[in-house]
Amino acid sequence: MTLPNYFLVDLPAEASLTPMMVREAAKTLKHNRERYLAGRSTGGLIEFLANLGREWLQPDYPFRQMALALPHAQSGFSREILAAGLDQFFSRFTRENLLQWIEQELGQENRLDVFCASAPEKSGRRSSVAFGPAFQVHITSGNLPCPAFTSILSGLLLRSAQFVKGSSRSSALPRLLAHSIYDLDPKLGACLELAAWKGGHEALENALFEEADCVTATGSDDAIASIRKRVPAHTRFLGYGHRVSFSYITQRALAGAGGARLVPAAARDIIAWDQLGCLSPHVIYVEDPDGRTAEPFAARLAAELERREITEPRAAASTAVAATIANRRAFYEVRAAHSPDTRHWFSSKSTAWTVIYEADPLFQLSCLHRFIYVKSVKNTTELLQGVDPVRAVVSTIGLGVAEDQAPHLAAEFARWGAPRLCPIGQMQNPPLAWRHDGRPALAGLVSWSDWEN
Amino acid sequence: MTDLLDIGIYAKQARAFITAGEKAGGLCQPDDRAFDQLARELFTLQFNRNESYRRFCQARDATPKDIGDWTQIPALPAAAFKHYELTWLPAAERTTVFYSSGTTARRSRHFHNAATLELYEISLLAWFQACMPGLGNGVRGRFISLTPPPTQAPHSSLAHMLGKAITVYGDAASEWTGGVDLAGGWVVNMEATAKALAKASAEGCPAAILGTAFSFVHLLDYAAEHRLVWKLPAGSAVMETGGYKGRSRALAKGALHAEISRLLGVPRGQIICEYGMCELSSQAYDRCPPPNAAPAGGLSAEERVFHFPPWARARIISPETGAPAGNGETGMIQIFDLANLSSVLAVQTEDLGVATPDGFRLLGRAAEAETRGCSLMAV
Repeated sequence: MTLPNYFLVDLPAEASLTPMMVREAAKTLKHNRERYLAGRSTGGLIEFLANLGREWLQPDYPFRQMALALPHAQSGFSREILAAGLDQFFSRFTRENLLQWIEQELGQENRLDVFCASAPEKSGRRSSVAFGPAFQVHITSGNLPCPAFTSILSGLLLRSAQFVKGSSRSSALPRLLAHSIYDLDPKLGACLELAAWKGGHEALENALFEEADCVTATGSDDAIASIRKRVPAHTRFLGYGHRVSFSYITQRALAGAGGARLVPAAARDIIAWDQLGCLSPHVIYVEDPDGRTAEPFAARLAAELERREITEPRAAASTAVAATIANRRAFYEVRAAHSPDTRHWFSSKSTAWTVIYEADPLFQLSCLHRFIYVKSVKNTTELLQGVDPVRAVVSTIGLGVAEDQAPHLAAEFARWGAPRLCPIGQMQNPPLAWRHDGRPALAGLVSWSDWEN
Repeated sequence: MTDLLDIGIYAKQARAFITAGEKAGGLCQPDDRAFDQLARELFTLQFNRNESYRRFCQARDATPKDIGDWTQIPALPAAAFKHYELTWLPAAERTTVFYSSGTTARRSRHFHNAATLELYEISLLAWFQACMPGLGNGVRGRFISLTPPPTQAPHSSLAHMLGKAITVYGDAASEWTGGVDLAGGWVVNMEATAKALAKASAEGCPAAILGTAFSFVHLLDYAAEHRLVWKLPAGSAVMETGGYKGRSRALAKGALHAEISRLLGVPRGQIICEYGMCELSSQAYDRCPPPNAAPAGGLSAEERVFHFPPWARARIISPETGAPAGNGETGMIQIFDLANLSSVLAVQTEDLGVATPDGFRLLGRAAEAETRGCSLMAV
């Protein structure tokens, strides 16, 4: 991949960064923002983002082609999985979706441009305007490019200069996005900086935090806690830590007209991004009061994963990941040999996919990479008892329920604390305006000016 | 079908296999056929008597009739020892139990009776003597063990092993300076350790310091604080084992060895690493007789080659395919231990390694649920 040297991440691997370089980069970004970005209209930026989204969906778009040509070790995914993930992600960036996103979070489409008033504001003879942070720092991590992509694109919408710090292994795709932005609009590209270093480099990170108006971070709970401590008190900080997801399928949904579609839909959730995101299910719970539904479902899911491996292969696993899967499988072989309440289905001569059926409702963390638990529960009470240990860290519940069951169950899961409920098959495909970890995205970043006239 | 008599016959054969090497003075001489025969006999015994293991093997279609040679004996994952009583010993006959270390709620268990414990001891003594410098021909050495004595840690297979070794091979002044605190944690009596080290130095008596990695770090920290350094007499050695398990700051192996060497005046070539598990009855060391074999000194942690005795073998398996890992490829370490009489002879560890022509290099542990960003909770 030959790309021009626009960003720090483009420098040769041996080039080492200094706090001084980071400070200089921050100053340049702020300067460029004043010249090229702060005065842009929301309409113009939406046009740009929608155009960028359309480009990335074109099969012959050079940056998309470069992304799909990345080796597994850099992209983290097979070509097929990455292509599907990019399609889903960029198809959300339409003009209509972007406008609705702003309206949902900020009340008015032109809230970022001028003083304007929603109905309650009008009745109170008030109006207000919102501003994004002048300079955002994003500390990104993880397998999936989506969180970094979203940060960058929403940052542009909010007219923020941005410094994105990734790890060397998670930077390849954000780097291509940054170059595509530069390619379409070099002035916008000049308000963006990308760099990669091993997380926890305090000298570099602290230099960056001192310059930032807002710091966002995704990563492990420990990493988030460490960053939070180092961000100056007056600087806004948004941390997105460790989250887990699961699905729930009712007996009636399985028996109903749409029941047959639940197996491929569940497989889609496992296959999407190789199950590596916080929105991917660790466990699929199946309502099974008479003990006759969950196990056959697991068997059908295994057959589906086997079929899909041919067309949508999982990326090669590292030795450590493969060893973790192999050990976990062997453990369940022992358990299955002792109890009819456990069964297992594995891909042959590979770790490509694994299905473990257990009657035990207790939530289990999967080792991911297409390793799924199917667990039977008698009812939602037993389900909620089983998932109680992860109650505080749940992200998404995928629902496979009959239409008339949905409102009641959604209300119950929302009360329980689930930030997001979606149909099975859509877990890794949240809408643009979804509230990440139950928090608004744009509204969490802006500052308001209220005018009482 | 086999019965108790067969257990006795097997134990006798295994003892003979272990001691034959000693008598011949060539412990490193592998005997493929004898190993295979004993492994299959032990597999048959364990398959017939250990229901848990039998079911596992049957599910894999690997019964004694099915297997062609010892490499096809199904290896049980180490995690299974935490959840199941993988022994054929009836509860009433279990006189000793060893637990794995660690802080997780569940720990592996290894049950013994007098006969199986005896085989464990024969195994550990023979290979300890072969691998620790300066032993053999009835020579007794000076040992200073930073681990607790077995009386204080009766369920630690490491404490039992070192206790037995010191009883058999240690001189009258050998001692344990480790102990167990009220919370059950292992601690080192630093004053006693300093005194024992000074005594060995003053007497000009070569000593072997035995301990876990974290106990050595504690010793390093204590010595730094008190500005202590020793120059142990020539011929002294160090045996270091295990990881840190959060009990001390963690040092990379190479750095730890350099620090130990500096602190005790023991050349790095005289620092021996032990690789052992509660689930096993034999250990691997990264120093192997005969003495003219390539010295381990100066090698980085990843270059050090571990050797099991002739009665235990390691296989490196590709986790992806389950087949033996290719030349130079990293894989999971499986161990087949003929001295593992009371439990299961074939164990799949959670460790990664690379096969070498005469042993394996240890690369560390396959991290559980190691994914980037999202999943950090233990199973």
